[in-house]
Amino acid sequence: MARSSELLVLPIALPIAAAFLMPVVANVQASLARWLGIAVVVAALGVAAMLAVDIAQSGPLVAALGGFAPPLGITLYADGISITLLIALLAGGLLFWAASPGDNVRSHVLMVLLMGAGSGLALSGDLFNLFVFYEITAVASYGLVAGRGSGAEAGAALRYLIVGTLGSSLALLGIALVYASTGTLNLADIARLAPERLAGVTGMAAFLLLVLGFGVKAELTPVNTWVPEVYATASARVASLLAGIVSKLAIVIVMRIVVLAFPGEQARELLLVLGIAGVVAGEFAALGSATLIQALSYSSVSQLGLVAIAFAISGTAGVAAGLALALHHALVKPAFFMLAANWRGPIDGLAGAAKATPVAAAVFVFLALSIVGVPPLPGFWAKYLLVTAALAKASPLVLLAIAVVLAAVVVEAAYMFRIAVALYGQPAPERSGPAILRGDLARATLLAAGLAVVTLTAPAVLDAIHRMAAVASDRDAYIAHVLPERGARAALSVSVGVDQRTERSIP
Amino acid sequence: MSLLDILFLGALAVALAMALLGGTRPAGVIATLSYAALLAVLALMEPLLAQSNAAIASSVKFQIIGEEIGWSMNGLGWFFALITVAAALFASWFSSGQWGAVQYDMRRQHVLLAVNVFAMLVLLSSQDLLGLFIGWELVSWASFAMMTQRGGAAARAAYRYILYALAGAMAVLAAIVIIRAHAASFNFADARMAVAALPSATKWTVVALLTAGFGVKMGLLPFHLWQAPAYSETPGASSAFLNAISARMGLYALIVTLLQVIGTDVLTNLSVQFIWLDARDIIMWLAAVTMVVATFIALMQTDARLLLTWHGIGQGGYMLLGVLIASPLGTAGGLMHVMNYGIYQAALILSVASVMHRTGTSDLDRLGGLITRMPLSYVTMLMGIIGLAGLPPMNGFVSKWMIYKSLLEGREPLLLALAFVTTLGTILSVYKLIHNIFLGQLRQEHWEIREAPLSMTVPMLLLGAICFVTGAMPGLTLQLVDRAQAAIGVPLLAHHLGGVTLATGSLNMLWVVGTMLAMMGMGAVIFYLLGGRHRAVHQYDNYAGGHFLSADLRYHFSHEFYPGLARVIGPWYRGWIVRAEASLIRLSDIIGHAWRGSFDAGITPLYVMAALVAGLLWVRSAGGLP
Repeated sequence: MARSSELLVLPIALPIAAAFLMPVVANVQASLARWLGIAVVVAALGVAAMLAVDIAQSGPLVAALGGFAPPLGITLYADGISITLLIALLAGGLLFWAASPGDNVRSHVLMVLLMGAGSGLALSGDLFNLFVFYEITAVASYGLVAGRGSGAEAGAALRYLIVGTLGSSLALLGIALVYASTGTLNLADIARLAPERLAGVTGMAAFLLLVLGFGVKAELTPVNTWVPEVYATASARVASLLAGIVSKLAIVIVMRIVVLAFPGEQARELLLVLGIAGVVAGEFAALGSATLIQALSYSSVSQLGLVAIAFAISGTAGVAAGLALALHHALVKPAFFMLAANWRGPIDGLAGAAKATPVAAAVFVFLALSIVGVPPLPGFWAKYLLVTAALAKASPLVLLAIAVVLAAVVVEAAYMFRIAVALYGQPAPERSGPAILRGDLARATLLAAGLAVVTLTAPAVLDAIHRMAAVASDRDAYIAHVLPERGARAALSVSVGVDQRTERSIP
Repeated sequence: MSLLDILFLGALAVALAMALLGGTRPAGVIATLSYAALLAVLALMEPLLAQSNAAIASSVKFQIIGEEIGWSMNGLGWFFALITVAAALFASWFSSGQWGAVQYDMRRQHVLLAVNVFAMLVLLSSQDLLGLFIGWELVSWASFAMMTQRGGAAARAAYRYILYALAGAMAVLAAIVIIRAHAASFNFADARMAVAALPSATKWTVVALLTAGFGVKMGLLPFHLWQAPAYSETPGASSAFLNAISARMGLYALIVTLLQVIGTDVLTNLSVQFIWLDARDIIMWLAAVTMVVATFIALMQTDARLLLTWHGIGQGGYMLLGVLIASPLGTAGGLMHVMNYGIYQAALILSVASVMHRTGTSDLDRLGGLITRMPLSYVTMLMGIIGLAGLPPMNGFVSKWMIYKSLLEGREPLLLALAFVTTLGTILSVYKLIHNIFLGQLRQEHWEIREAPLSMTVPMLLLGAICFVTGAMPGLTLQLVDRAQAAIGVPLLAHHLGGVTLATGSLNMLWVVGTMLAMMGMGAVIFYLLGGRHRAVHQYDNYAGGHFLSADLRYHFSHEFYPGLARVIGPWYRGWIVRAEASLIRLSDIIGHAWRGSFDAGITPLYVMAALVAGLLWVRSAGGLP
């Protein structure tokens, strides 16, 4: 069967081309430009769906742009994880289209740009392109955070920009060190050379820089200081996209770097430490937060910390746990933000919200139960995967991580259910609970319904995640896919069809 | 479709029916009849369980991440399920009439009761560790929903409960995952083999995590603070249900894990050097201390509901003691006490609920003399407190006697002494309860009070009657206990209708009760032979502290009920656990505040620099040099 490799470029190229065209078209007809943007993202989503079918049937896709075989030229690589993230990004973009028809065409352009660059992050097969798309994503998100340019928004965007630029320069420095050590930027080629060239101090220094650099978007401690301000200030849709999806693109890049270029224990321990710090920082900061949106922002930091802990655990089990946590968070957090956008102000002021909008409060409780990890909701299985995967590698640091993860559940429940209790409280006399916009409620309910569907189909979903993780955690297979002739020694052992039971490393 | 499937579906159907019809008038009757039907299903299961001593499997099962989760109910689960459904039956009977009509949202109460029953049935049918955990969480959240419904203080108590419960659940999860890592399966039998082979440090960890985790729900010290307020703030009928059975889920899980998965032999082999205690002794001492402390806290309570719920925590200690002795007599006593306690505690809580229904308060300082106005509630409470205090002829006496006897035979004289001290405290406190509510002078504001309606008194009195019947004929209960004991794998205790026959001393309650009644009859005969002189006196014609009281001298002694005792034991109430809890909350607030302050974009470069320096130093020192 002919593979659809040549389609890989479309989800990146179409939106970016459209982003350049839109201001021009807008000069002729503003509404045409806006529709062009949305149409392009829909088209990209269609392409992504076709790619997903192909990948599900016959394994990862590789495209060498311009006919230059890797490691020369630009390589695009898509496996199950990339395509899942790509679909999440484009579908999320459409659901949370952060520009309304009344807005200047500029914000539409930024959305389309975010989609194109985000697709690039999901699909790029070399470090340099990752960096370029990371920068474009960053620029688009600064613009989106700045929104209509109120004082608070501009301030948040500026501080976000400063932290983001700091991160980008660290990442660039890391990439430079990797290039200096290996002489290549192609991930597969780096993976091939990594054991001899990147195992030393230079390699580890490069890893540190890369993690801190890409960690800005992935909300890793200590470069996540922008999170609470940006999420509280930017529009809820932008916050949903950043916290829900862009952060996942970034953390998956970190995972790829760990799996491919730094498979040693030291790099994993470093990521583990950052993850533990993130969970502790996020959970405790969320405890006692004054507002709902603040609590949710800190909770996002801790969830990304959990993902980092999972990705720090070697083998398929770790990647599967991280992926499950990441996808769960991508589904849950945007729904939370949709509700929080309407429930602003101090938490105690939310009393009566349940009476005003029972559905919204019920959705909140459902989401909270899942994010806390109550069986049989998906959040439980994600955390369960994490704990079992971690316990299989019982080093003292990992045991600490398990203890932190389990304790974090209690802290998480403490603030989530403090809010839930407030929602169901009696409002002050002659005051009704806060109302909620119908569109926001519809989006939150849609995502909650998705969560319910995942709950019912959990076995199948977890199997799919496990299959994707098996592919993504296999370094040799990646090399063999991208560099068939060079990686010949690494036999094409793993593909989608392998019985995942034999792959399982959960004891 | 097995009987267990029918049971599950039935419980779900009740929840659904209550969601639809819960607000209507006959809802309580429908619920009561439905629970009776569930009870009938359980009764149909008994012969199957007795025949083969095997579990009845449900046809619901699913595969997830390579594990198969299924449910089946064995004799132990069946025994607890019986109490659960019966408690729900009496709770909804109680709320089927006037009591339910005046509730703020009776529909929600009905639905939540049914959901709780379902969750408990799921827990009680778990056949592997993962199923146990899932059921455990379901039960925790279902009871949270039940406790929080009234809002305000109830919501605060429920919130505290769910944090304790989740902390416990996480400890349990850690233990389960540790066992799973060694057993390669969640199956109880595989887990047992794996645990036996664990190094002793890991065994200790697993035992500690499980005891603490499941102990939270039992209110085992020092995790007991949540229980009394949470149960007390729940509306009467639901509170009776929670009191009767909810905390026992912790006992069930402890029996399953400590006795079935870990095994008493492993526990007794885990010894601590130099203090002659093993893991089992430590847990038994925890249970005994819980028993004493909770009972004396109960003694000091001034709210009837709190007094009873604190006793619930203490009574849990008896059950755990009996079960951990693990002799046929001990486990039978412990398990029997679960059922006996459920019966008399439900009666007591319902009786307090009907007093609250009429007077609007359960404050022991604001009641008194209600015996003339609510005689049926008084009779119920009298029967209940005799059971709670463990005196003949009520059922509580039998199970406590068996536990005492097993402690004696198990050579645990110190624990036995603690059990006696507890019983003393119980007797004192239940007297305070009944005196402050029903005896003494009637308060003026209660002059117009009437007895609770039949919809409330009939189930109450019925519970009291069961309390007496199973006290006089403990063989009825012991027959049910047999199923549970067989499932744990403890040899069955030989018993007959009147009690047990043992080489070291038997108990025949038929004789005990018969003798008691005969003595009373003889007393009456003598009294009447001597002329039977008596004079009816008015309730106000009374005396206190050596002084005669009358209608113009109103005095009901209830405030600071045991002043002398309080002076002696008062200083023991140092509340260090309460203070530890408060400190923990404050500490996490401070840490939270500090962390929130650390999220400052301006300091990020400093963080990055620190991270880079620390990271590079670590990279260098960790032997990364080429």
